[in-house]
Formats: sequence, C-alpha cells, structure tokens
Amino acid sequence: MTDQELAHTPNVFEHWVFGLNGIGTLWIFLIMLLINTDVLLRFLFNTPIDGVTEIVEVSIAGIVFLQLADAIRAGRLTRSDGLFNKIKESKPMLGQWMSIFFDVCGALFFIAILTGAVPTFIESYERNYFAGSEGVFTVPIWPIRLILCISCVTVIGVFIIKVISQIRTIGSFPSAGGAL
Amino acid sequence: MTGLEIGLLSVVVILVLIYSGMYVPVALGLVSFVSVWYLRGSLEAPVYLLTIAASSGLEDYIYGVIPLFVLMGLLVSQCELGRDIYEVSNYLLRKVKGGLGVATVAANTAFAAITGVSIASASVFARVSVPEMVRFGYNPRFAVGVVAGSSVLGMLIPPSVMLIIYAIITELSVADMFKAGIVPGLILAAIYIVAIVSAAVFFPNYIGGQSNSDGAPELVQKDLSGAEIARKIAPFIILILLVLGGIYGGLFTPTEAGAVGAMGALIISLIKRKLNRPVLWKVLSETGHIVASLLLLIIAATMYSRMLAISGLPNELGAWIATTDLSFIGILTIYVILLVIMGTILDTTSIILIMVPLFLPVMAPYDISLIWFGIITIFGAEIGLLTPPLGISCYVIKTTLDDDSISLYDIFAGAFPFAVLMLLVLILLIAYPGISLVFV
Repeated sequence: MTDQELAHTPNVFEHWVFGLNGIGTLWIFLIMLLINTDVLLRFLFNTPIDGVTEIVEVSIAGIVFLQLADAIRAGRLTRSDGLFNKIKESKPMLGQWMSIFFDVCGALFFIAILTGAVPTFIESYERNYFAGSEGVFTVPIWPIRLILCISCVTVIGVFIIKVISQIRTIGSFPSAGGAL
Repeated sequence: MTGLEIGLLSVVVILVLIYSGMYVPVALGLVSFVSVWYLRGSLEAPVYLLTIAASSGLEDYIYGVIPLFVLMGLLVSQCELGRDIYEVSNYLLRKVKGGLGVATVAANTAFAAITGVSIASASVFARVSVPEMVRFGYNPRFAVGVVAGSSVLGMLIPPSVMLIIYAIITELSVADMFKAGIVPGLILAAIYIVAIVSAAVFFPNYIGGQSNSDGAPELVQKDLSGAEIARKIAPFIILILLVLGGIYGGLFTPTEAGAVGAMGALIISLIKRKLNRPVLWKVLSETGHIVASLLLLIIAATMYSRMLAISGLPNELGAWIATTDLSFIGILTIYVILLVIMGTILDTTSIILIMVPLFLPVMAPYDISLIWFGIITIFGAEIGLLTPPLGISCYVIKTTLDDDSISLYDIFAGAFPFAVLMLLVLILLIAYPGISLVFV
C-alpha cells in the first residue's frame, strides 16, 4: 500500500528518505565495530578506547531518527490492523478516511515533537552542550539535536505525502463503493 | 474534569484509537500530549516532556542494547542455524515418540538462546520444521501448533528484546531480567515436551506420524556423524558463551555483549557463506526499521507514563482497589486477563508499555518483586500471540508457510493447546515467584 502511494512522491524526496536511512544503517554497523574494537583492545592490550560509552549514548537517538522516516514510509510503525482491514474491505470509503485521519495525526505528533526540538537544537548549539565529562572525552550534542529536527520535518513530509495521495485516490473512487 | 477523569478518558481513547488501527506510538503520544496540555493549561509542559522523551531521554548507554541484539537475531536467522539445530535435534530424538515435535521445541529453545525476537523463531521454524513434520505424516494442525507454541520461547529465554524493554522502562538491570527469564522459559519448554510425548502415547491420532506399525514406509532420517553434529552445534555454543557467558562472567556489559554477539553472528554467516553485501545491507536496514519503530514506541510510552503520573490515575486506581475487597491474587488475576485480552490484538511491546506504567503503582504496596512482575507481564502478553483474532505468531507462520492447505484456523486451533499450557505455567509462576528468581 505504502509503496504505491509513494509512486506519487517526487523522486528527490524519496532519495532523501533513503539517504537518511542509509546513513543510519551504516552508523549501526560502525557502532558495532567500535564496541568490538574497544572490547578487543581492552582484553588484548588493556587499552580501551576513550569515549565509547558517550558515543553509543548519543548515537542511538541519531540512528533511530535517521531511519524513522524510511520505517514509516515502509509501513513499519506498530499498529493493530485487524479491525481496520475489515473496515477497509466492507466500507472502503470509511476505511480511506480513517487512514487519512491516522496519517494526519501522525503528522501532528511529529509537529509536536518538532516544536520542542527546534529550540533545544538552537540552545545546544549556542551554549555548546556536550556529552561525557570534560577533560576525558566529550561529544557535542547539537548534531544529534539537528538530526532530530531534520528527521521530524522529513517524517511530517512522509505523512503529508501519504495524506495527499490518499485524497487523490478518493477522487478516483467508484462512487458505488462510496455509497456503502 | 478532574485529573483522574482525564487520565481514565485518555486511556480509553488510546485503546479505542489503537483498536481501530491508529499507529500505536501516535495514539499513545498524541493523546498523552493533549491530556497534559489540558491538565496543565498550557502547551509548555507537554512540549517540554515530549522533547525530553525524544532527545535526552534516549541518551542512555542501555538503549544501545536494542539495535545490537536485533542485529544479532536477524543475522542468526538468515544463516540457517535454525535448520542445523533442528536436524541435530531430530537425529538425537529419533527414538522418542513424537520426536519431530519434541525436536521442534528443543531446537526452538536453543535458537531462543541466541536470538531475541519471537517473530524470528516463528518464521524460521515454520519454514524448517513444518514441512519436515508433514512429510513424516504428522497432523499439519499439530505441526503448526508446535511451531507457534514454541516460538514464544524466544521472548523468555535470554537474550530477549522483551526482557530488555521491560528492564529499561522499570529501570531494572538487563542482566537480572535475562537471568529471570531462563527458568520459566526452560519450564515451559519442558512442559511442552512432556505434553507432546504424552499426547503421542495416548492420542497418537492427534499427533500423527506414528504409523510404522501399519507398514508405512520407514522414512529415512538423515544420519549425522559426530563431527557433523559438532559442526552444527558449535555456532550455538560459541554465541551462547560469548553473549550470556560474557554478561554473567562479568566480562561485558549487556550492550557490549550485544555488539560481540552481533559480530560473532556476522563472522559465522561469513564462514557459512550466507552473507554478501546486499544481504548484509538488507539485514542492517531491517534492523534499523525494527529499532526505529521500537524506540518511537518507547518515546511515546514515556510521554504516556508522564501523563499518567500527572493525572494521578495509577495512584487513584490503587487507592480504589484497596477499598474493594479484592485480594492480591484477585488483582493479579484481573491483570493477567487484561494482558491476555490485549495480547489477542496487540504486540507484546505495546502491551508492556501500556500496562506496566498503569499497574506498577497499583502493585507497589504489595511488596512484590519487579523482576517477577516483569516475567508475569511478558508471559501473559505472549499468550495472546497464540490466540485469535490477531495472534501475531500465527499470522507470521501463515505468511511464511504460504500453503493453502493449512488455514489460519488450523494454526490457531493447533496453537490452542499450547496457549493453555502457557496459561498453566503462568499460574505456576504466579503461585511460586521463586521460580523466576532462582538466579537473581
């Protein structure tokens, strides 16, 4: 269902979503390698890498938000669709409107997250917040906050595209189906 | 409206929206957002809480454990370790009545010790052991039932993503939760095995496959040499030693164990030549999708539990229950019934995230072990994976099998006895909390 909907998506946006997902994908792999290297160095040479804990801490949020838009595009958000699928079969029109409503709510939820995320990003950038302890190892926080903002905007875009393409299909619905 | 009424209304609205098909994290997060907005009378509070949940709330080392164990599970699932362990179990159990059924349970138990996702077990063994059992004349309904029933072992036997999520939201140690899952998981496996063997003896027609006496061709099982068995079992032993041995030997944190386990699984798939770049990319990307949707759920659930706390609903609920004549066992019974009902329409993670913040304050005065409560919660919710209308394990098996002669109804019917056995074990775990706390 989602893939067909995305047929309407401008390609640039699609590539953007895939690109974010790709960075997140690579990031997970690097984290795995990093932790393994750390563990290995610790056992073999008793020289752990500084800051692995801090890097893992800030990375998870980064990874999650980079991949979220693609996960949503691919229809991977958790839902219980038993009843919903029945409604879509017996009353396609109602099902379509419900689906639109769910996607609008999705967009609203991420607008809510974005509202708080933007000032948090600006603050962390201006005041140079970091994770870790000074003198030992520190990572700046603002790139992660920026990813959160970018991700929210992208996710809102994904939801809006879903809504628009569904409203288009409603226009082309056979009206007999709508009478149900 | 009072805080209590808002809280109650929110929970009801959330459940209605989820049931009608809204994305679970959106329903949880958005309704909680609006409730806090109403309760506090300004937008500032909900925006603040949501931002914390989505940003600094996630900046904890422990969250690293989720993607790493999911990655390990997916790597292990695609390098046919499930098939290997099943062949070995078959061979070793060839003399036992109902042997293929018992082998499915045994193989699942071993597989559970190297993966953390039920769904992975369900799809692997639907492909591996159902065709095998059907070939040997087992009743298809029984065959799918065993696979569905034993797939829940994946969530109980560590490493398990469910145990991790419960540990995170209740701020318990992941290592302790892992330990608590071992004995209940093994007991469940043992009860399954006893039930299968006794059914094979007393109701051979239900199981099928025992037709040697009537001259049916003795189908030849693959003969395995000692070396082959060793080669097939070695990856399991290595991964279990690395991950669980590493955690309990005090060598690794759970996050490190996840990374080392994922690396081990990666190397094993390379040695077995089951991995190339496109496959690795697919596995990594799939990991990301699973983790993104899991953590979004956790973000939304954090918002929801803050909303509950602000509304005061859990405390009021506890106070109200104290005024009724309900005994502790009475409350627990209601809780378990709710879990099972929710399990029939929702996934286990969502259930844990919705029910635990609501009921933990209610249970607190009874001086219970949070670890034990977690095992009960996961067990109860997992029963729903086997029951209609939406038992997820059964759907996964149906999709994986892609065989029209086995209907969804057959799968649910086949899984039913196993759901009953689970319920019995759950009652046992409730009656004897010590079982879950043996190693803790």
